[in-house]
Amino acid sequence: MSTVKTALVIGAGPAGMEAAVKIGGAGYRVILADRADSLGGTLRQLCSSFPRWEDPADLIAYKTEQINKCPLITIKTKTTVVAAEKNGNGYLVTLGSDGLTSEIQADAVIIATGFELFDASVYGEYGYGSFDNVVNSLEFEALLKEWQENQGKTASPGTVAFFKCVGSRDRAKGLPYCSRICCMYTAKQAGLVKELFPDSKCYVFYMDYRAAGREYEEFVRSVIEQRHVRYVRGRPAKVLPEDGRLLIRAEDTLMGMPVEIAADMVVLAAAIVPGPGTRQIARLFRIKSDEYGFIDYNRNEPAKAGDRVFFAGACGFAVETLGAIQQGAAAAAEVIALFNQPNGEEKNA
Amino acid sequence: MPDASGIETQAFFKTIKLDAIDDSLPQEIKTACGVDVETCLECGKCSGGCSNVRIFDITPRQVVKLIKTGQEKPLLAMDALWACVSCQLCGDRCPAGIDIARIMDYLREKAYQKGIKATRYQVQLFHELMLGFIKKTGRVAEGQLIIRFNLKTGRYFKDADLGRRLFLKGKIKPFSSKIKNREDLRRIFQESIEREEDQ
Repeated sequence: MSTVKTALVIGAGPAGMEAAVKIGGAGYRVILADRADSLGGTLRQLCSSFPRWEDPADLIAYKTEQINKCPLITIKTKTTVVAAEKNGNGYLVTLGSDGLTSEIQADAVIIATGFELFDASVYGEYGYGSFDNVVNSLEFEALLKEWQENQGKTASPGTVAFFKCVGSRDRAKGLPYCSRICCMYTAKQAGLVKELFPDSKCYVFYMDYRAAGREYEEFVRSVIEQRHVRYVRGRPAKVLPEDGRLLIRAEDTLMGMPVEIAADMVVLAAAIVPGPGTRQIARLFRIKSDEYGFIDYNRNEPAKAGDRVFFAGACGFAVETLGAIQQGAAAAAEVIALFNQPNGEEKNA
Repeated sequence: MPDASGIETQAFFKTIKLDAIDDSLPQEIKTACGVDVETCLECGKCSGGCSNVRIFDITPRQVVKLIKTGQEKPLLAMDALWACVSCQLCGDRCPAGIDIARIMDYLREKAYQKGIKATRYQVQLFHELMLGFIKKTGRVAEGQLIIRFNLKTGRYFKDADLGRRLFLKGKIKPFSSKIKNREDLRRIFQESIEREEDQ
């Protein structure tokens, strides 16, 4: 057994990358595994960011460089965790890649498996899956990237309507919780459309806008006041195809009057849910998840999921990029503190 | 200020003293309809999709809000009570699963018992005619119902074109059939009348 301890970080999004950088920087070995073929996680799919309109690609490039500079970090892309069993003061983990498996000994594990979007086709009234121009927010990020790359060469999308709380705050067909980041990324998406196509019209249907974060309120206000995105308070009821466009019916709940918008595109801010990968990893390491499948937390040790298992990022609940990085650093601190114990035992275990 | 029908149309612009309201109306709705109005997120998805909202004076969301604030008077006097066709789109789409159509049913019954009648659209007449057919034959004879309704309201040719097309497509028939067991039907009506008298 090598004397230098090894941490396995599962998931190479912002949380996982940050954890790897910090643990590697502290002088321990890291295996950074991700099922995708490159680093960045969901962040790779995103176009710009809130609240400072920064390019996510720059952040990924910066973290990737830090990782590449650290000889103690081994990147394992296109890799999944197949099995795990307790082995002494750690875990014997079986990794699978391209049909081949390999075993590694991990003295600690950080789970950073991210999130998925709720399946918006549950709402027949919105027509997701039936109408081409009804997309979810991640699909829209891809469109934004395309439009940004071909700026000046693409036709304006016309009228774009954004629906918030699709699957969130819905105890009948969705999830009772607020997905927390949709208010902010929807403001960003609508603001980007207005920047790329000033003649376009953007409407955001909201129940409340929740901008509880540093510079968040100012960000949303700037999107409304400087980029002229229109906010309509009310949850849309129906999307109807009409003359090749999409007719949206809703109530403006502040006026108490029904409103209609003829739109060319509808973007659904689908709820943030844990992916099947998170459930599988939770089972393998026998850690507790909440009723939705997010990894459960303990107020006294908020980054700890189980015996020598820690977690960071959206696998523990919806979180923005900055928060994911901070959680990654916090989980890394836990691992470093654990590895720094004279005999490698957890003091508070 | 009462309008021509005597309904207080300006009631909503009076200040409501929120601290003077008890929760008897929400409790009543909870007991009678099994609906907890406190679960309402006030999102308006019900009103946005309501199939008849264009002829409502109070939207479904406002109905729930008025229950929350204990405003029984405008609820029993509203036109929406009679314009609601119980299509149940509101409740089906409600993220809190609130059965608004059930609430409307309950309020309608309550208004009816208090002698409050629909002021527009001849809703009362329509219901009476329709129930009359059901009582007699066990079925709704759409064709005859439309003709009788239009005769009684003096709008003889209102549905002439639509009726002709429906008739040609076989959607409405000139004569209605009767159900077999009309004795059971008679008992249903008898029992519901007795029940109403008991109340």
